[in-house]
Amino acid sequence: MNLQAAIICALVYLVIVCVDTAMGDQTLTRPIIVATLTGLFLGDLRTGIIMGAQLEAIFMGISAIGGAVASDANSGSIIAVAYTILVGGEGAMETGMALAMSIGTVMVSFNSMFTPIWASMAGYWEKLAGEANPKKFAIQNFLFLPIGRCPNAIALFLGIGFGIEGLGNFLASCPPWVLTGLSAAGAMMTAVGFGILLSMIWDAKICAFYFVGFVMAKSLGLSSLGIAIIGVCCALTYFFVQKDIVDATKTASSGAVSTGANSEEDFF
Amino acid sequence: MAKNNLTTKEMSILKRMYLWSHTTFVNFNMTKMEANAFTMTMAPVIEEVYGDNIEGKKAAYVRHNAFFNTHTVPLAFIAGLCGAMEKDVADGKVPSQTVDAIKASLMGPTAGMFDSLFFNCLRVIIAGICIGLAETGNILGPILFFVLYAGSQEIVRWLLLKTGYTLGTSFIDAIFNSGLMTIATRSASILGLMMVGAMTATTVKFPMNWTITVGKASVEILPLFEAIYPGILCVGLTLLMMVLIKKGRKPIQLILGLFAFGMLGALVGIF
Repeated sequence: MNLQAAIICALVYLVIVCVDTAMGDQTLTRPIIVATLTGLFLGDLRTGIIMGAQLEAIFMGISAIGGAVASDANSGSIIAVAYTILVGGEGAMETGMALAMSIGTVMVSFNSMFTPIWASMAGYWEKLAGEANPKKFAIQNFLFLPIGRCPNAIALFLGIGFGIEGLGNFLASCPPWVLTGLSAAGAMMTAVGFGILLSMIWDAKICAFYFVGFVMAKSLGLSSLGIAIIGVCCALTYFFVQKDIVDATKTASSGAVSTGANSEEDFF
Repeated sequence: MAKNNLTTKEMSILKRMYLWSHTTFVNFNMTKMEANAFTMTMAPVIEEVYGDNIEGKKAAYVRHNAFFNTHTVPLAFIAGLCGAMEKDVADGKVPSQTVDAIKASLMGPTAGMFDSLFFNCLRVIIAGICIGLAETGNILGPILFFVLYAGSQEIVRWLLLKTGYTLGTSFIDAIFNSGLMTIATRSASILGLMMVGAMTATTVKFPMNWTITVGKASVEILPLFEAIYPGILCVGLTLLMMVLIKKGRKPIQLILGLFAFGMLGALVGIF
C-alpha cells in the first residue's frame, strides 16, 4: 500500500498504546476508540467510527485478562481500518473486518517472541528498585514503555507498507523450534514470580495450605473468589483457635509480659 | 479505633499514590507482571515512612517489587491497604511478611471480581450503548465510551484507595492492641499461600510436548506426569524456583536458566 499511511498507522498505534498503558484504564485500546482515531488520521473519520462500532462488537469477548490474549484487538483494528480506507471501493470494509481478527492473532504470536525478553528484565527492575531512587525508577520505566511496544509498531508499519503476507512469511521463515522455545520460556517465566512471592510468605508449619489452594483450583475448578472464601474461613478459624490458646496461657501464667515472650518463642 | 479523618499530609500522599496507580500495565512482564507499577504506587508512602532510613527504604522497595497482578482499580485498593501498614512495618510493629501475605491473598480474588465487574459487565453495557451511536457514524459513540468507561474506573479507583488506607490503619490498630500480631501474620499467610497455590494452578504453564520413540513404540511423556496429578510439573517448577530463591539465587539467574531451558528443550523436542 503506501508508506506514508504505514508511518501514520504505526505512530497512531505507538501513541495510543503508550498513553493507554500510562492511564491504566484499558479504554483507549478498545476498537471503538482505536478505529475512530485511525480513521481521523487517515482522513476518513466517518468510516473509522462506523468500523469501530462493528470491530468493538467482534472483539467484545476477547479480553486481555491475565496477559494472555487470543487476538490483539488494537493492531487488528488499525489494520482493518487502514485497509478499508486505503484500498477503498465495494466490499473493502467487509475484507477489512475479516482481516482484523486474523491479523490480531498473527500480532499476538509475533508479540510472544518478545515476551521472554521483557520477562528477563525483571531482575534488572528489582535491582533498580533496590537503589531506593523512585524518580530514576519511574523515569526508566516510562522511557522503556515505548521501546517495549516498538516491535509491534514496526510489524504494523511493515504490514501496511509491504503487505500483510510479509509478516506471515517472516514468522514462517523462522525455524519452528525458535518460536516454540520462546513461547515455552515465556509460559514458564511466571513460575519465577511465584517462587519469589512464595519464598516471602513460606512457613513450614502452614505451607500445606499452598497445596490445598492448588488442588481447589486445579481439580475442583473453584473460582478464585470461592477459594478466597474457604481461605478466609481457614485463616479465621486458625486465628481464633490460636487466640484462645494465647488467652488460656495468659490466664494460667497470669503474667502478661512473660506470655508475650513465650508466644514469640513458640512461633519462631 | 478507626482513623476516618485523614490529615492533609495523608491526603497528599494518597493523591500521589492515586496518580501512580495508573501505571498498572507499564512494563508488564511474565515474570512479575505488575510489580513495577506497584513499586511506583508505593513510592510516595515509602519515601514518607522511611525518611532517612536508607536501608529500610531499599528493603521496602525490593519487597514491593515482588510478583503482583490484578485489575487496575483494586491495585489502588491494595496499595492503600499496604501503604497504611508500611508505617507499622517501619516501626517494627508488624512483620513485613504480613504485608506480603495480604498482597498475595488479595490479588487473585480482586482480579476476578473487578475483571467481571468492569470488563465483562460495565464495558459490555457501555459498549452496547455506544456501538448503537457509532454505527450511524456519530462521533458521540467513541467519546461517550471513553468518558463512561474510563470515568467510572477513575472514580472507583480513588474511593477504593481511600477505603484501603483507612481499613489498613484500623485493622493494624485493632490487631496490634490485642497483641496477636504473630497469629494474625500466620492467618494472613494461610490465606496468601492458598491463593498463590490456586494461581499456580491457573497461571503457571509447563508446555511439554515430548514423545519418546523407541523402535515402533512411542510414548508421550506429559500424560505420564499428568496421571500422577494434573499440573504436577507446574507445582514442581514453582517450588523449585522458591527453593533456589531461598538458597540465594538471583531472579535473573533463574530467568536466564528457564530461557536456556526453553530454547534447548525446544531444540531437542521436549516442548
